[in-house]
Amino acid sequence: MSGLRRDTRYLLATTAPGVFFIVVFLVLPSAYLVAMAFLSNGPYGLPTAPLTLDAFRELAGFGFLGWSPGNLYTLIRSVWQSLLATAIVIVIAYPAAYYISRQPVRWRAVMLLAVVVPSWTNQVIRSVGWMNIFAPDTVVSDLAVRVGLTEPQMGLFPSQFAVIVGLVYNFLPFMVLPLYAAFERLDTEQVEAARDLFASPVAVFRHAVFPQTLPGLMAGTVLVAIPAFGMYVVTELLGGGKATMIGNLVARQFVQASNWPLGAAGAIIMIVVTLIGLKVLRDLGRRVGGDREVLL
Amino acid sequence: MTGRSLALALRGFWYLLLVFLYAPLAVVVFYSFNAINSSARFAGFSLTWYEQLFSNDAIIGALLNTVALALTSSLIAIVIGGMLGYGFYRYRLRRLSWLIWLIYLPMVMPDIIFGIAEMIFFIAIDERLGILGPGLGTMIIAHVTFQVPFVALLVNARLLALDPQLFEASQDLYASPWQRARFFLLPVLSPAIVSSFLLALTLSIDDFVISFFTAGPESTTLPIYIWSAIKKGVTPEVNAIATLMIGSVFFMALISLVVQRRPSASSTTNRSASS
Amino acid sequence: MADPAVGSPRTESAIRVDATSKSFERGVRAVDAVNLEVGAGEFFTLLGPSGCGKTTLLRLLAGLEQPDSGRITIGGQVMDGVPPHRRSVNTVFQSYALFPHRNVRRNIGFGLEMRGIDAGEIDERTQRMAELIGIDGLLDREVAQLSGGQRQRVALARALINEPDVLLLDEPLSALDADLRGRLQLELKRLQRRLGMTFVFVTHDQEEAMVMSDRMAVLDAGRIVQVGTPDAIYEAPAALFVARFMGHQNFVPIHARDATGVETPLGRLEGAFGAGDHLLLRPETIRLDDEAQTVPNCFEATVEERLYRGETTEYRLACGGLRLLASRANRGQPEHRVGETIRVGVSPHGTATVSD
Repeated sequence: MSGLRRDTRYLLATTAPGVFFIVVFLVLPSAYLVAMAFLSNGPYGLPTAPLTLDAFRELAGFGFLGWSPGNLYTLIRSVWQSLLATAIVIVIAYPAAYYISRQPVRWRAVMLLAVVVPSWTNQVIRSVGWMNIFAPDTVVSDLAVRVGLTEPQMGLFPSQFAVIVGLVYNFLPFMVLPLYAAFERLDTEQVEAARDLFASPVAVFRHAVFPQTLPGLMAGTVLVAIPAFGMYVVTELLGGGKATMIGNLVARQFVQASNWPLGAAGAIIMIVVTLIGLKVLRDLGRRVGGDREVLL
Repeated sequence: MTGRSLALALRGFWYLLLVFLYAPLAVVVFYSFNAINSSARFAGFSLTWYEQLFSNDAIIGALLNTVALALTSSLIAIVIGGMLGYGFYRYRLRRLSWLIWLIYLPMVMPDIIFGIAEMIFFIAIDERLGILGPGLGTMIIAHVTFQVPFVALLVNARLLALDPQLFEASQDLYASPWQRARFFLLPVLSPAIVSSFLLALTLSIDDFVISFFTAGPESTTLPIYIWSAIKKGVTPEVNAIATLMIGSVFFMALISLVVQRRPSASSTTNRSASS
Repeated sequence: MADPAVGSPRTESAIRVDATSKSFERGVRAVDAVNLEVGAGEFFTLLGPSGCGKTTLLRLLAGLEQPDSGRITIGGQVMDGVPPHRRSVNTVFQSYALFPHRNVRRNIGFGLEMRGIDAGEIDERTQRMAELIGIDGLLDREVAQLSGGQRQRVALARALINEPDVLLLDEPLSALDADLRGRLQLELKRLQRRLGMTFVFVTHDQEEAMVMSDRMAVLDAGRIVQVGTPDAIYEAPAALFVARFMGHQNFVPIHARDATGVETPLGRLEGAFGAGDHLLLRPETIRLDDEAQTVPNCFEATVEERLYRGETTEYRLACGGLRLLASRANRGQPEHRVGETIRVGVSPHGTATVSD
């Protein structure tokens, strides 16, 4: 150590513990998980040599009985459900963020807190809340029966509908916050200039408001779509078997099925899709956000 | 005219949103006082479930585990994360971009993979070395790992918002390195440290997936207890436990509101003074 | 250096900078082999455009940067490797850098507190310093509640209370509006005289430098181009760069010269001019109309623009392919319109020359 410059010593001293934690307790385990995907599934569900691509073949749907599209559907469903939830979140969060940003300053912090506080409760508890609401014979379920959405005595969960509601509920704050930030620093002179230059309200929104909120929108999309894709709790509690996402598929291999290599292969697919999603959103964000960095 | 009706519509929308946000929590609290185990029919006010809850050693144990896990991991995380945030700020001009990716990694990694990877890793280490067997210790390690980046980014953001000349001013005014930490950095960072501690607590209490996969048989936390109760189909005290947790979150929200209020109050006076 | 008498201090030196260089990562030489001497009790200004190295030089003095080579001596002590907190030098920062978590009183006392001086003495000295600077009413305010001018004064008090050998000021007035700036320039100058302390002041504003300094150094690209008193530098700039930077606008190239005069695009000008390759015509020395007849060199020019400025009127003139700026005090002379041809006179007296 004595040969190192003092600067370098301080740098090491301050960053080493954090780097140690992340490398040893996340990077290494992840590498181990990735490696496991290339092992064979042993007799007791534990991975053994030899190295093989069997896990990926099985994941793609090739089994004893020929090819089945189940896992592929699960992957597509995961992407679809997270995109759908993100779209609904945007529709709800956009007017909400605008509304909050137009309130007197002293109210805004309280209103933002009101949006965020539910997300501080545990994920499981939030889902329990929706289970209570969507249980058979509750006010909401009765209403759904009357409208013809569901059968009597059935309740609204488990269902894909309940999963989407759960996802929207979980991630709404992560869209409201960045959008609010965008609305708060909205350059109102641009809006006035647009009005001055004969723009209709729709044109004002399209040309002077929306472009300014796009960076916030993109940041929110990253914060919502990416974790929604990896969701486990909501689908498990509110979806039953009806809206399984890839996270559930992976977890099942470790918890019940004891096919670790298969689960590890699924995890690799999840990581790859997550990274692709991040890259796509980031590039999109760069394009719409101009030179301003969006989130990452 | 259209402006006013738009404003009205927005206000209505806001109240609907509040209903959407709080209905699931309100329902849980409401039915926790139900005399029967049902979320469809309210059969009268009762504290049955709370009595059962407090006489159940497994639940009390889970409660203590939850608190111990949250406090310990958050305390460790603010120390390690605070140092990381400072180091990253102080040496940001060096080639440290790989470090920011390392910091982002725990944030973008899906929980489920995070949890499973740590589970198999801890099991493997335990088998070979006999240490890191699943339990409170592994849960604390796992929590610290995902809390550290958030703390580091918060502290780093606060440092970036500071006038860089402040660091030089403290040197110029005869503060030694230790005095700089004690009389300049810590006081200036204390709001960020408090809020990152609160955030770390929230993250820990909010987490289920990672705890679930790194827990041992003796280190059940409240969310894990609820989860297994639901899975087993036995749910009598679930609403009551959930209500306690919701209550604690609201308490933390109140604290954070008070904490936030202080600096914002002084910044409003400063705005009026300078204008 | 034109005149050695103003190139070095009249008193014993408070600061000596010998052959000091400092480069940054991209290979830019921010300070390039600088030699400099600042006398005790002097108000010395480092003047130059942004990026000329003046701030880096100041930071080298403060110890906030370490030189790559050379030697800096402050108060007779060599500063090699001495960190900022062990130097008897204090800085008034451009942003003032007041600690946001401390009120005014605790900001001012910070340096004394760090040096372990006891609370009673800190209180007493803070009070005295605050009275001296005229901020004793602000001592219990929070920093966030102060205006720009008040912050500037607090930063000054916080530095001065330590009674340093040298006070460094890094563009301390640049964030203030023109009116306040003018007042604080005077205040700062008076304070410096009263305390007899050595001030090293950095600015890019040549008027500010001239108003305040006993002596100043003009820097360009990390090098000192000229050192001297403000009037010496203004009237006899050592280089075209210095002349331009000090606000000179009329440069007339000299094509040829002989014993009795010089050849320029304006024509032949009679008289003994300096040895430089450009004439420096100061706007107020250019004579117009009848007055032009009273000087030896007289020619015709066309008015391109007329700018009325109250005390003076400025004429932008075209003549011999050059543009000249002439300025005349308004004393009821006839005004000239744009496009008019007028007579212009140039005297050899008081007309400097400058070389690149």
